[in-house]
Amino acid sequence: MTARTAAPPPLEVREVTVRFAGLTALDEVSFTVAPRTVHAVIGPNGAGKSTCFNVLSGLYRPVSGTVRLGERELTRLAPHRIAALGVARTFQNIVTTQGTVADNLMLGRHALSRAGFAASALRLPRAVREQREHLARAREIAELTGLGALFDTPVALLSYGDRKRVELARALCLEPRVLLLDEPVAGMNAGERVRMAEVVGEVRAELGLSVVLVEHDMGLVMRLADEVTVLDFGRRIAHGTPDQVRRDPEVLRAYLGTGAGGEDAA
Amino acid sequence: MSDLLRRGRLLIPVLLLCALPFYLDAFWLRIGLFSMAAAIGAVGLGLLSGTAGQLSLGHAFFLAVGAYGYVWLAGDDGPGLPPAVALVLAVLLAGAAGGLFSPVAGRVKGIYLGVATLALVFLGHHVLLTADSVTGGFNGSSVPPLEVGGFAFDQGDGLAVLGVPFGAEERLWYLGLALFALTWFTARGLLRGRPGRALVALRDSETAAAVMGVHVARYRSAAFVVSSMYAGLAGVLLALAFRRVVPDYFSLALSVDYLAMIVIGGLGSVAGATAGAVFVTALPLLMTRYADQLPLVAAPGSGDGSLGPTEAARYLYGAAIVVILLFAPDGLTGLARRARARLARRRRPASAPSDPGAAPRPPATAVRAKEHTP
Amino acid sequence: MTGLIDSLFNGLALGSVYALIALGFVTIFKASGVLSFAHGSLLLLGGYLIAVLHDELGFAGALALAVLVTAAVAGLVDRVVLQRIGADPHAAHVATIATIGIDIVLVTDLARRIGGDLLTLGDPWGDAVTDLGPATVADSRIAAITVSALAIGGAFALFRFTPWGLSLRAAAEDAEAAALMGVRLTRVRMLAWCLAGALAALAAVFLAAFPAPGLERTTGQIALKAFPAAILGGMASPVGALVGSMVIGLTEAFTAGYQSDLHVLGEGFGDVAPYAVMVLVLLVRPAGLFAAKGAARV
Repeated sequence: MTARTAAPPPLEVREVTVRFAGLTALDEVSFTVAPRTVHAVIGPNGAGKSTCFNVLSGLYRPVSGTVRLGERELTRLAPHRIAALGVARTFQNIVTTQGTVADNLMLGRHALSRAGFAASALRLPRAVREQREHLARAREIAELTGLGALFDTPVALLSYGDRKRVELARALCLEPRVLLLDEPVAGMNAGERVRMAEVVGEVRAELGLSVVLVEHDMGLVMRLADEVTVLDFGRRIAHGTPDQVRRDPEVLRAYLGTGAGGEDAA
Repeated sequence: MSDLLRRGRLLIPVLLLCALPFYLDAFWLRIGLFSMAAAIGAVGLGLLSGTAGQLSLGHAFFLAVGAYGYVWLAGDDGPGLPPAVALVLAVLLAGAAGGLFSPVAGRVKGIYLGVATLALVFLGHHVLLTADSVTGGFNGSSVPPLEVGGFAFDQGDGLAVLGVPFGAEERLWYLGLALFALTWFTARGLLRGRPGRALVALRDSETAAAVMGVHVARYRSAAFVVSSMYAGLAGVLLALAFRRVVPDYFSLALSVDYLAMIVIGGLGSVAGATAGAVFVTALPLLMTRYADQLPLVAAPGSGDGSLGPTEAARYLYGAAIVVILLFAPDGLTGLARRARARLARRRRPASAPSDPGAAPRPPATAVRAKEHTP
Repeated sequence: MTGLIDSLFNGLALGSVYALIALGFVTIFKASGVLSFAHGSLLLLGGYLIAVLHDELGFAGALALAVLVTAAVAGLVDRVVLQRIGADPHAAHVATIATIGIDIVLVTDLARRIGGDLLTLGDPWGDAVTDLGPATVADSRIAAITVSALAIGGAFALFRFTPWGLSLRAAAEDAEAAALMGVRLTRVRMLAWCLAGALAALAAVFLAAFPAPGLERTTGQIALKAFPAAILGGMASPVGALVGSMVIGLTEAFTAGYQSDLHVLGEGFGDVAPYAVMVLVLLVRPAGLFAAKGAARV
């Protein structure tokens, strides 16, 4: 019922290529997410960041290349199998489902619980007990992400920033070993951004998971990331620590050559 | 304490429903019986179309499988099983029929499934007409009465309880009530449990559901199977109430009736499906009975061109579907909730904290018209 | 041999009538993402109008007026009811269910007017037949094929060569982008419904013509058989709908023509054969035969 305690295995992306109708969205991209680090994937619009996430969570199949989580190959697995292995994600556009915050978080417990149609319909004692235990854990995660007071509020009534946090909390409910965050602060105001950054930092420290981060907000990337991979037109053009990447001439050119890396913080 | 209170609130309608056969005549009991059967079927369809967002126009087929399955299994032409066993097997048979369709039901999404399930109604109707050694063909078959532990749910032997003669309607009323209670209990368990949340997620975003670990095709198929089983149960109860089953009853129009029930009641809730079922079932029966007192409506069979009660009812609920989708996407349940909230606000001064029931709850998505996930 | 040619011809005639209806489904779907379950009632409306008007206006006049009125009603249904529901993907689902409600109202009304009668449409072909060497073919069937071919050709010309057709294709690709580029989606949609309504009224003529006994209250249900045709074609492809319609028409004609050899399947299996074909196709290709395999967008 509690978080997985062992260190997550490394997530290795090896020469992944994705094509749509002749268009190459990802071209032999490789990077490794070391256990318990925050790894940012950045790049201009259309660089292939979202495609990359969709490969990691099993929504797209690459034409070549592999994704491995420790010993497990993820490349050919269906999304729900990848989720069961402890890879959770959020979406760039908020995708919450109808119902309360609790309902959404309980969806995050889906892969960790067992009750099927018959057990739930007949309300067998084990289904009732399971639901109660998972609800307790979902509440803990809500507290951790600052949603405790909103636990029973319908998601439709929440502010934009709160809904983004519901997505984060729902992903955490999977007790992930690897957390994929797709533009977690996009569209947020300054205050919300700061809070989100704090929450991400806290959960990473507390739950000991690896984080892959796609984000346009360079400030956030530089503050949170241990390592950065830069994509442009589907290819990896740079890689390294935030400081190394910031000084890389290729990166500067990709960002329209204007020098500072912050102008794309949409 | 609040738990006790909640149960107490449920007890009153239950007692009321149990007492009704002592006061109502056969006409009203039949309306109630048909409504209960329809409600069981509608709850099943609500689970599929309202909760999981999978449109089905094939519900009549599964009602037919349940009804004919029971008739054949319990009848002299078939194995002649004890009727209670036949009832259970008929429900399982309907579920199995739904399972056979799962290669389609698991992979075809949303409104497209509505088109695919048209096939079930038309092919099913054809089979009912053709396989006359089992189904009795065009003229149908008579339905063997249900018997449980020596107690027969039919006209019987002049049994009277507290001075009220207990004929088929009275007896079947209690059967219907028991089966409806079972439906209510199980469907709410499903909706509030893990499967219900997975189905809602599937409806709202297939991608989000999948990355949260929901096996998309399996859950779609399972929703279809469960929905078919409720339809099968409704079919058995309807067969018992009609005492005769004929193929023409299980037409596309019946499927559309069930869809109307869940839309009118409000998608995604058991209470909504029930309210819609009562509305769609009782309306034509009541209009037939009171045709002479209604303006614009002629008595049944009074010639061409005049507006008969059945037609008037169809007009009404056809229009009700459109109006509800346009103006009150959460159906009757939504209207009731808003009315309750307004009442509660009026009773208490404005300073009182708003209770959760008063919060404007967003309606279910299959009809959640204006909110679009970006 | 005669049987083969008969069935072939029947199949083509039936297929062309289905094509008229299926093309309507596809046009509406491309413009709005809605599956129109109200098509049966539009078809019945067209047929009914011809039936009551042909004495006064003659067949051609009645047909012209019926096509116009049905097109107008279809356009109004979209503009007044369906477009109010909205234009996003969720709304398309809601609107689809709303078309069922509209169908109930329209069919109830028309069925009440038609009652148990069989209405004749006063078409010029009657029960005349033409000798085509090895087979004798009903004139109404030749007319069905010819007229449908012309109407479908006209519809394709509209798709290809008019600003409306271009807007329709743009809207089907990406409604938002099309709107930004100045496409007036409400009008594009409404006109799509009008075209579909007109085609449905035209189809009614041939569904009620010889050898059918006339227009019945249930004639509208035949429109549903064009759904399998459109689904076979992948719902968004006009060419696919044409091919699907021919497959469905031929299947129906051949199962009916060779019924004595197929007696295991029961009498009248031809009527439901289109649905059997649809299920078989969906088992193999859940998205239809002509659907492009696109990746899900997130």
